Amino acid sequence: MGDVRAVFLLYLAVIAAGLAIAIVLGLLGQ
Amino acid sequence: VTRVVKRNGLSLAFGAIFLGALALQALAGQHEVNHERLLSGGESISLAAYVSSSLFWADVMENWQSEYLQFTLYIFATVWLVQQGSNESKEPSRIGRESDEEQQVGEHVTRDSPRWAKAGGWRTALLSNSLVLVMGTIFLLSWLGQSIAGRVAYNADQLDNQAAPVSWPEYLLTPDFWSRTLQNWQSEFLAVGSMVILSVYLRQRGSPESKPVGAPHAETASEG
Repeated sequence: MGDVRAVFLLYLAVIAAGLAIAIVLGLLGQ
Repeated sequence: VTRVVKRNGLSLAFGAIFLGALALQALAGQHEVNHERLLSGGESISLAAYVSSSLFWADVMENWQSEYLQFTLYIFATVWLVQQGSNESKEPSRIGRESDEEQQVGEHVTRDSPRWAKAGGWRTALLSNSLVLVMGTIFLLSWLGQSIAGRVAYNADQLDNQAAPVSWPEYLLTPDFWSRTLQNWQSEFLAVGSMVILSVYLRQRGSPESKPVGAPHAETASEG
């Protein structure tokens, strides 16, 4: 199950990164 | 490695086509912006500048939020609403949050149950709702991201046309924000409703999203 957990965490990381980039760039007025 | 890839094929394949589509969206979006700038006599923008702009991210977030709203609503609605004959629904007799026995919690946990299912109290309550909570949080954050990035993109357009920029609360009341939001929502709701009702009479052999080919149309909640 270690590999399944890794894919699970990868998805959460990609989603969190996308949300963070969008919000931060927007707040910076880019 | 082959075994790992095969075991995770569904999530890896969708992750890969997500990245591919996102990259192509960036390319097409850059060309679209440059086409408009060419027509209005402005300077063109590089790919790097485009993907680090709110123009790009407002479009990304706008589509994300609607997808996560769709799944959040669907997970939550299927607890309480059923569709006779649909593979996407549970049996009408099981409407609601179901018994501890059906949900394998309380005295019905098994040796292999997740630790937080066995723990009881707030941990089990949190695990019991974690899918809706996480999907719902992603929906709210991507909708927030759409509004923040969308406002920057909207204001750039305003300034280009010698109009006054708007504040974030003002942007939330603009037709631009709601048009971007609702055009995505309507398609998600139609697609979900279609999945629910089309799966009553139509089949895809081998897919767990479908009933078995020979299952009766009236049978609810079977797996193919």
